[in-house]
Amino acid sequence: MLNVGVIIKLEPDFSEGNVSYNSDGTLNRAETKNILGPHSAIACNAAFYCKVKYEARISIGTMGPPIAESALKQAQVLTDAEELNLYSDRLFAGADTLATAEVLKNGIGKMFGENKIDIVFSGHRASDGETGQTGPQTAWKLGYTFLGNVIGFDIDLGRNVVIAKRLISLQGMDIIIEEIESSLPVFITIDPSYRSIFNTVSQRLAANKFRKEGTKRSEEYRQFLRVFDSKKLDLDPKRVGLPGSPTIVYRVEKIPRAKTNRKTEVIDPSNPNTLSPLIAKIIQIVRGE
Amino acid sequence: MSKSTNQESISNHKIEKYRHLYVIIEHFEGQVIPVSLEMLGEARRLMDEFNSKYNSTEKVVAVVLGNNVRKLCDDLVTYGADSVIYADHEELKYPRNDIDTKVIVQIANDAKIMKIISPEYENTFVKPRYMFFAADNIGRHLSSTVLAELDSGLASDINKLVISDLDIRHEHKTKGQSIRYEKILEMYRPDFSGFLWTTILCLDNKNPEILREYHPQGCSIIPGAFRPIEKDNLRKGTIVEYSPNIDQELKIKILNRKVIKRTIDYETCKIVVSFGRGIKDNPEQNIKLIEEFAHLLGAEIGITLPLSKKPYQVSQNLDSKYMIADRVIGTSGSKITPTLYVAVGLSGAVQHVAGMKESEMVISINTDENSPIIDESDIFIKGRMEEVVPILIEQIKKQMSSISVRSS
Ligand SMILES: Cc1cc2nc3c(=O)[nH]c(=O)nc-3n(C[C@H](O)[C@H](O)[C@H](O)COP(=O)(O)OP(=O)(O)OC[C@H]3O[C@@H](n4cnc5c(N)ncnc54)[C@H](O)[C@@H]3O)c2cc1C
Ligand SMILES: Nc1ncnc2c1ncn2[C@@H]1O[C@H](COP(=O)(O)O)[C@@H](O)[C@H]1O
Repeated sequence: MLNVGVIIKLEPDFSEGNVSYNSDGTLNRAETKNILGPHSAIACNAAFYCKVKYEARISIGTMGPPIAESALKQAQVLTDAEELNLYSDRLFAGADTLATAEVLKNGIGKMFGENKIDIVFSGHRASDGETGQTGPQTAWKLGYTFLGNVIGFDIDLGRNVVIAKRLISLQGMDIIIEEIESSLPVFITIDPSYRSIFNTVSQRLAANKFRKEGTKRSEEYRQFLRVFDSKKLDLDPKRVGLPGSPTIVYRVEKIPRAKTNRKTEVIDPSNPNTLSPLIAKIIQIVRGE
Repeated sequence: MSKSTNQESISNHKIEKYRHLYVIIEHFEGQVIPVSLEMLGEARRLMDEFNSKYNSTEKVVAVVLGNNVRKLCDDLVTYGADSVIYADHEELKYPRNDIDTKVIVQIANDAKIMKIISPEYENTFVKPRYMFFAADNIGRHLSSTVLAELDSGLASDINKLVISDLDIRHEHKTKGQSIRYEKILEMYRPDFSGFLWTTILCLDNKNPEILREYHPQGCSIIPGAFRPIEKDNLRKGTIVEYSPNIDQELKIKILNRKVIKRTIDYETCKIVVSFGRGIKDNPEQNIKLIEEFAHLLGAEIGITLPLSKKPYQVSQNLDSKYMIADRVIGTSGSKITPTLYVAVGLSGAVQHVAGMKESEMVISINTDENSPIIDESDIFIKGRMEEVVPILIEQIKKQMSSISVRSS
C-alpha cells in the first residue's frame, strides 16, 4: 500500500477581488480572508492522482493555529484523505522555514501510525510572497530524496521507484525538461503547471467516486483530525518557533522610489499638440529609424 | 598569523571562526548564467567595503560544480571572485539537488582549502560567513537543503544587501538584553506587492538558555537585482580544484533531458507591449485592444506575474496565448531590453521593473500618477487604457498612411 503525505498551508486569498489593500497600497492582512493556498491545492491534486491511480492512502498535515483546520478540511475535499493532522502549539509561533521544517519532519513521521510515508508532496511556494524553502528543508531533515519543479510523475510499484518530469527555467535561458527516476521514498515539490490527467474510463469513475467520498468525509472532517502539540511530536522547544529560528524579521519599510535617469513627461492624451510628436516618435521606432 | 588577524582578535577578544563570502555559481551549456555574475558583482562591492572597514582580508569565493568546468573559472575571477573552488565530476554534469547539496556542504566545511585561498585563517576557519545562491529553479531549492544541512538561516528573494554592526534586543536571541552583533548581513526582501521591504537577519542565539551559532548567513538573490562588475582581465585570483567525495549511492537517475527553445523571443524584438491588472474592467475587450495595438507596432506582448495566474475569465484563445508564464516580464520571467517598452495598466512593482528597466524608451499608460511605473517612464500617458489605446491606434494609422502617401 502506497502511503502519501501532503503538507499544506492556510494562506491569505490573493486571488482577484479578494485581496484587501490599505490606503498606502500595502496588503491589509486582517481584512483578507484565508483559504487553502493555491499551491497547496495543486500538491493535493498530485496526491489525489496517487489515490486514483495507485490506490494510495493520503494523510494531510499543516502547522498552524487552530483555524488552520479549515485548510485541512478543504484539502480533504480535494483528496478524500483518510487522515488530517494539525500541528499546533503556541511554541511554534514565529517560526522561520528551518523551524517550520523541524515541526513538519516530526509531523510526517507520525502519519499513519508511524508507517513510512512513500511520497510527500508540498506546494511550490506559499502565495506569491513566500519562500519556497519549507518543502526542500523538510525533505532534507527527513532524509528523503528531494525532487523540485515536478510537472508530472508516475510510480512503478513493482520497482518501488517514481519516474518524474521536472521543468527547469533559468533566467534568459531555454527551458529544460528533465525526466528522472528515483527510488522511494521521495519528497516532491509540485510545479504550478502540474495537472492530473485521468486517461481511462475506470480512472475517471474512480476519481468521481473518491471526489464524492471526499466531500462527504469533509463534512465530518473532525472525525479524521488529529491534533499534535510539541510534546506529542517529541520536539525540543529550543528547536521550534522563535527560539529555533536562525532568522528574524528586523524591519519592514516602504520601498523608496528608485532614482532613475529618465525625465518623465506626463501627457494628456486628449491634447493633440502633445500627442502628435509622440506618435511620430513611435512610428520612427517601428520603422527602425 | 598575519598582522591584520592579530589586530582583529585583540580588538574583538575572540577568535573568528567564520570567514569569507561563498557564491554558488550556476551554469548552463557551458555558460555562466547572468545572475551568478550579478551575485559576484554585489559580493565584490560588499567585501571590498567589508575589508576596508574591518581591516581584514576576507574573500569572495566562487563555488562551481559540474563536468568540464575548469574553463569557466578564469572568467569568474575577472568578474570579481578572489578564489574559485571547482568540483569536476561526471556525476555533477547536471544539477541534482541531493548530490550538489552534499558536495557544497563538504566544501563549506573544509578548512584545509584555506591553506590555498587564505592561509591567515587556516587554523581558525570553521565555515563560511555568508553564502549567496540564485533565487531561481535550481538555487532556491539548493539554498534550502544546503542551509538545512549546515543548520543555519536563509532568506529568499533578496534585492538589497548591507553589512553592518547592529544593536539587537530580542526576546529569544538576546533574552531581552541589548547586544551588539558585528558584521551582520542585512537582507532586504521585497514582498508580494513589490511595495514593502522586509529586512531579514540571521543571528546567533546569545541567550544563555538557547545558545546556538548560525553561520553561514545565507540568502537567495533575485536575478536582475544587481549589476556585475566591469570585466577586468587583469584581476588575479586563486583557482582550486576540489575532489568531492561521491561514494554514496546516487538516488536520482536522469533518464532524459530536453532543451526547449522559449516560444516567445523577446531578444530579437524591438518593441514590447505589456499589460497588467489594469485590464480588469473588461479583460476580454482590453486584451483584444492591446493585441491590435501590438500588431500595428509589430510588437511582442508581455504581461505581469499576476496575470499568469489567470485571475480573469477570458476566452480560451486569449487565455492560452497570453496569460502564460512564458510572457511574464520581470524577475520571475524574462529580462528584456527593447528599443521601446509600452507598459499598459501595470503598476511597476520592483520585480517587474527589474525585467524592463534597461529598455531604451518607456511609455506607460496608466490612470494613476502615483503608480511607481511613472519613475521608469519617459512618457506617462495619464488615462484609462480603454480610451488611450484606441486614440493611439487611430493616430498611428493616420500618420503612417499620410507619411506613406507623401513618400510615394
Ligand atoms: C518573489 C516575487 C517575484 C515576482 N516576480 C514578478 C515578475 O517577475 N514580474 C511581475 O510583473 N511581477 C512579479 N511579482 C509581482 C509584483 O510584486 C506585483 O504584484 C505585480 O507586478 C503587480 O502586477 P500589476 O502591475 O499587473 O498589478 P497592479 O499592481 O494591481 O497594478 C495595476 C495598475 O493598473 C492601473 N490601472 C487600473 N485600471 C486602469 C485602466 N483602466 N487603464 C490604465 N491603467 C489602469 C493601476 O493604476 C495600477 O497601476 C513578483 C512578486 C514576488 C513576491
Ligand atoms: N506551516 C506549514 N505547514 C504545512 N506546510 C507548509 C507550511 N508552510 C509551508 N508549507 C508547505 O511548503 C510550501 C512552500 O511554502 P513556503 O516555503 O512558505 O513558500 C507550501 O506550499 C506548503 O506545501
